[in-house]
Amino acid sequence: MYTYTDFDRHLVRARAAQFRDQLQRRLSGELGEDEFRPLRLQNGWYVQRHAPMLRVAVPYGELSSRQLRQLAHIARAHDRGFGHFTTRQNLQFNWIPLDQAADVMDLLAEVDMHGIQTSGNCIRNITSDALAGIAADEVVDPRPYCEILRQWSTLHPEFAFLPRKFKIAVTGAREDRAAIAWHDIGLQLLRNEAGEVGFKVWVGGGMGRTPVIGSLVAAFVPWQQILVFIEAIVRVYNRYGRRDNLYKARIKILVKAEGQKFLDAVNSEFRAILEHDRDGAAHLIPTAELERVSRSFATPAGLESLPIDASAGTPGDAPLAYARWLARNVHGHRLPGLRAVTLSLKRAGQAPGDATAAQMDWAATLADRFSQGELRVSHDQNLLLPWVQEHQLLALWQAARDGGFATPNIGLLTDMISCPGGDFCGLANARSIPIAAAIEERFHDLDLQHDIGDIDLHMSGCMNSCGHHHSGHIGILGVDKDGAEWYQITLGGSDGSTLSGPSAAGKVIGPSFAADEVPDVIEAVIDLYLAHRQAGERFIDAVRRLGVASFRAAADAARRSTAVHAEPALA
Amino acid sequence: MRFIDPARDDWPAAGTAATPHGGPVLLTWAQWEASRAAWPADALVGVLLPNTVDVGNLHADLPRWSLVALEFPKWTDGRAYSQARLLRSRLRFDGEIRATGEVLVDMLPLLQRSGFDAVQLRVDQSLESAQRALRFFASHYQGDVLESRPLFARHAA
Repeated sequence: MYTYTDFDRHLVRARAAQFRDQLQRRLSGELGEDEFRPLRLQNGWYVQRHAPMLRVAVPYGELSSRQLRQLAHIARAHDRGFGHFTTRQNLQFNWIPLDQAADVMDLLAEVDMHGIQTSGNCIRNITSDALAGIAADEVVDPRPYCEILRQWSTLHPEFAFLPRKFKIAVTGAREDRAAIAWHDIGLQLLRNEAGEVGFKVWVGGGMGRTPVIGSLVAAFVPWQQILVFIEAIVRVYNRYGRRDNLYKARIKILVKAEGQKFLDAVNSEFRAILEHDRDGAAHLIPTAELERVSRSFATPAGLESLPIDASAGTPGDAPLAYARWLARNVHGHRLPGLRAVTLSLKRAGQAPGDATAAQMDWAATLADRFSQGELRVSHDQNLLLPWVQEHQLLALWQAARDGGFATPNIGLLTDMISCPGGDFCGLANARSIPIAAAIEERFHDLDLQHDIGDIDLHMSGCMNSCGHHHSGHIGILGVDKDGAEWYQITLGGSDGSTLSGPSAAGKVIGPSFAADEVPDVIEAVIDLYLAHRQAGERFIDAVRRLGVASFRAAADAARRSTAVHAEPALA
Repeated sequence: MRFIDPARDDWPAAGTAATPHGGPVLLTWAQWEASRAAWPADALVGVLLPNTVDVGNLHADLPRWSLVALEFPKWTDGRAYSQARLLRSRLRFDGEIRATGEVLVDMLPLLQRSGFDAVQLRVDQSLESAQRALRFFASHYQGDVLESRPLFARHAA
């Protein structure tokens, strides 16, 4: 993990002190709510349905056991005892009173954490592959670059008030586990024919009301130039992005509207920085800086060459649950003798991504016992242990069960991505948590889930798409009509992974459904798949082969209150 | 950072008569466009630029200006930060760059780092809070107009 320097620590503490000053001016009335809102947002504070929500940054998903314990402490001392891990790898608290906000920021700063730029119209926390640095298919470890980007984007004076939020995702593997084409900027690290490291760059992806897949804008930007290239992109956006209409303000709209002109403007800005600006080349990353940051991400001592343990296989009398856990929750590793293990945050009785303070503490204990004190937050809202030794898997499984983390459902139907929805979120049009619970209940049977196989179900409580519904094989979107909750269902979306196919937004299958119809509709869609799949065919492939229309017909047959009855023919 | 007291401002707006009168005068962009051809070289002029103007096209104008006033029609509209940054770093403008419009206390660190050296705060803003807002951070990661080198380049030096 990245190790904070004195400078990093000083900056986070200065930010906490600045926020305390702003909060005091707000509480004294010197600062009006309209003027405080953007300031609190850029520190992670929303005002929600019941209380403020705090979004804590987990940079590119890396978390230490010490940090997680502090989050558990904050959950206990200031919240109602739980937190919610998000699809952007952050953590949200829902019940912290605003007058405790500055104290909580100080507690976060104690463990090198903060809420800087987790909201607001600025460059947000950078996301990455949960398997960064450990994936067997990795070409370049993205974490040092993520950290250099994090530092560059943190408190950037020119880009604090962009037209709209701005999200960057980075991957360094062959498989895209970071949904990069769905981001304002998507970066893929690769090596060119000469073996040099650089970035393939996509711009203008995004969800929301108008889902758009990012456009490729550069096939290879040498790593040394990436800050300058991104500066060029963001400057063009800051100057020319639309500010007259909230729904047209993301960079995706600018990219779509201007096309080649946008690309030309970025390239010309890039050259102008390097050729004309005072110290324009100062942000070219020196090798020494990359090496300095990379040292933080060295493989923990003793893991590079583990002795191969021939007895490490699955015991012959291992229960089915363990075998399933090995199949679904345990992942390959670039180093022999090691595995990455997902701690599932998708289980009956708890909202997807939620963890209680006790669970956070227990996950921290597991990280200390089995994973060098390190965890990752995944895009799928689970926790992941990156350094688990093969011979400790059985012990880990038993310990994970004690924390309710061992549901063997990773990649299956109940491993759904979901936002907190209308139960908490002030923006939501509809609730997500009861729908998630109803689906979990309907498909609780693990035999059934394993039979259905790989499937991405994503759910958002509103168009802001925090639950990435557009990219789900099955997407569920909460909508509000006349004050009632309705759910639009899409099929065939993709996050861009190999399994899901090229990134695409799902297609809507007819008018919205009533809340109580949703589990039936999902079941009807799944039943059609089970009835018509070919040998080994996954859900997403069956949707593509059979076409959305046939699934729509199945879904329509499951309608009750929203069923359209044919008018009696006129005599 | 210079805080402008509107009552004692050296740069009165030209009003409707955009004509040189010996002292410094602040023109709107439209007034400048109309009078630029005839404006005498020795008459002190500042220009108030809307945040939609491409400052990259001002090569010929800038040497004739002593002041550029940039506008924040809303304080959350960040276009003028880029204008200021370009005026300083790319176009090497060394006259005054002044923030006008909805200028609030908490913008001060951003303004200063983007190249503004004068601000006209909105009337209800506290000067004391604005001065305090400039003191929270000793330095930053990325380069800016005041310190063009990022932290890693400063380390290396």
